[in-house]
Amino acid sequence: MSDLADIPPQPLPDVDTEGFWQATAGGYLAMCRCRSCRQWLQPPLERCRICAAETAFEPVAGTGVIYSFIVVRQAAVPGYLHDLPYVVALVDLDEQPGLRLPGRVVDIDPGDVSVGMRVAAELVALPGGDHVVPVFRAVGVSRGPEGAMTS
Amino acid sequence: MTTASLSGAAVVGIGRTPYVRRSGRTALAMAAEAARAALADAGLMSGDVDGCSCYSTGGPASPMQVAHAIGVDDLGWCASVLGGGNAVASVVAGAAAAIVTGQAGVVVVYRVLGSETRYGKALGTIEAPGEAQFAAPHGYLVPPQWFAMWCRRHQAVYGSTAEDLGAIAVQERAHAARNPHAVARQPITIDDYLGGRWVFEPFRVFDCCYEVDGAVALVLTSAERAADLPHPPVFPLAVSDANGCGGSVDQWADMTAMYSRDAAPRLWAKVGLGPADMDLALMYDCFTYTVMATLEDFGFCQKGEVGDFFREGRATYGGDVVVNPHGGLLSEGYIHGLNHHYEAVLQLRGDAGDRQVAGAETALVTAGAGPYGGALVYATAPA
Repeated sequence: MSDLADIPPQPLPDVDTEGFWQATAGGYLAMCRCRSCRQWLQPPLERCRICAAETAFEPVAGTGVIYSFIVVRQAAVPGYLHDLPYVVALVDLDEQPGLRLPGRVVDIDPGDVSVGMRVAAELVALPGGDHVVPVFRAVGVSRGPEGAMTS
Repeated sequence: MTTASLSGAAVVGIGRTPYVRRSGRTALAMAAEAARAALADAGLMSGDVDGCSCYSTGGPASPMQVAHAIGVDDLGWCASVLGGGNAVASVVAGAAAAIVTGQAGVVVVYRVLGSETRYGKALGTIEAPGEAQFAAPHGYLVPPQWFAMWCRRHQAVYGSTAEDLGAIAVQERAHAARNPHAVARQPITIDDYLGGRWVFEPFRVFDCCYEVDGAVALVLTSAERAADLPHPPVFPLAVSDANGCGGSVDQWADMTAMYSRDAAPRLWAKVGLGPADMDLALMYDCFTYTVMATLEDFGFCQKGEVGDFFREGRATYGGDVVVNPHGGLLSEGYIHGLNHHYEAVLQLRGDAGDRQVAGAETALVTAGAGPYGGALVYATAPA
């Protein structure tokens, strides 16, 4: 196989998104937020979609709840062709309802992942370049999709 | 002006190529074949054509190239929409609107997919711009992964099951068995479905559409001119799109419902009809879950009831409505939803042979999934 097949897709930042990658490279997770109305915005925008004020990247705790997840069992994306299965989740961050980030859920049996599970982000280097990405790890007590405790 | 004026235009011709895994042909060659077939079906000549439109995600064979390839010398109306299944309803309705408003007299609408376009894998992706930059580095990039994510949420909230998804796949395959044009005609059982290999759990292989090479073309003209052509015209009554959340497949607030949550009530209000009035439902089925969520949104059944809807025979001949009698994208083949329009027209003409829905007069045709899509209602009589 070629070397390229071993390299996962690299983020291609633009001026609206580069703050996210600067933060992760600096060791913390940050999301785009309106300086005026304080709305969090994902994907990032130069101006707030609600009030058109300037935005900036502000640190987030990196904790949240799994909104949904998949178990990837078929090779479909370079960098992951031999690393099967793996779990990708959409995580609703605690800062704002529906503020959501995708990321792998690591160090867990896929059968133990559930919707509503609480997770925390951890920063890891992305092979093939200089970028640092958040991955998620299960923490503490989980909640069901309606917020009911399930375990 | 009301949207009912769309039925001042009609679909008068349909054409297609064979659907095959690997054609060895260019997209332009296939698009031209489908366009010529649709024109011949309409009893028209290339010299009659003055409009051409398509949608694509950036593929080859532009409308001006296709029109040129079939001998059109003067193309007065030309539109190429950047979009996938989400664009189908508005592209077809746009052609009808061009005719109704006098911008064009005869329009060819087509979609072609060649072997260079396969959406299930992204093996060539090296850099991910835009919103994909947050997802792709995690090996999360292709549509079956997105909609598996949506499906899991529905399962968690409404308790829908693998067996419910399987009921959709099994029914569509049974329909395809009566369609000689379908690529997958061998019937499957629920056990076959459940024994299918996982791709992106909760999706198995049978949850995903069958990607093929091929093209479909429609010819539209005015209702007045249609009256003199060989086939009974099929009229678009109304259309409604919905495009939410900036098209983000990750940020959509409630993944148990799709664009259709917003498009469906608008469409039913425009057309003055409801799900009970439909003889056919050509439901966009890039994945089984798309059928599940959109059937709920269009009001054919309640949330979480789609599995029973299929198991009880309500989605086939003799039931409430015949869903995808051609086998859909799951079993006939993936021509990005324009093959649903072909089937709707064939059925409403009464020309569907062994799989004809008796007395069919109305058809809902949906397109798209997730945050974006649309739908159109066709009928044998104008509004």
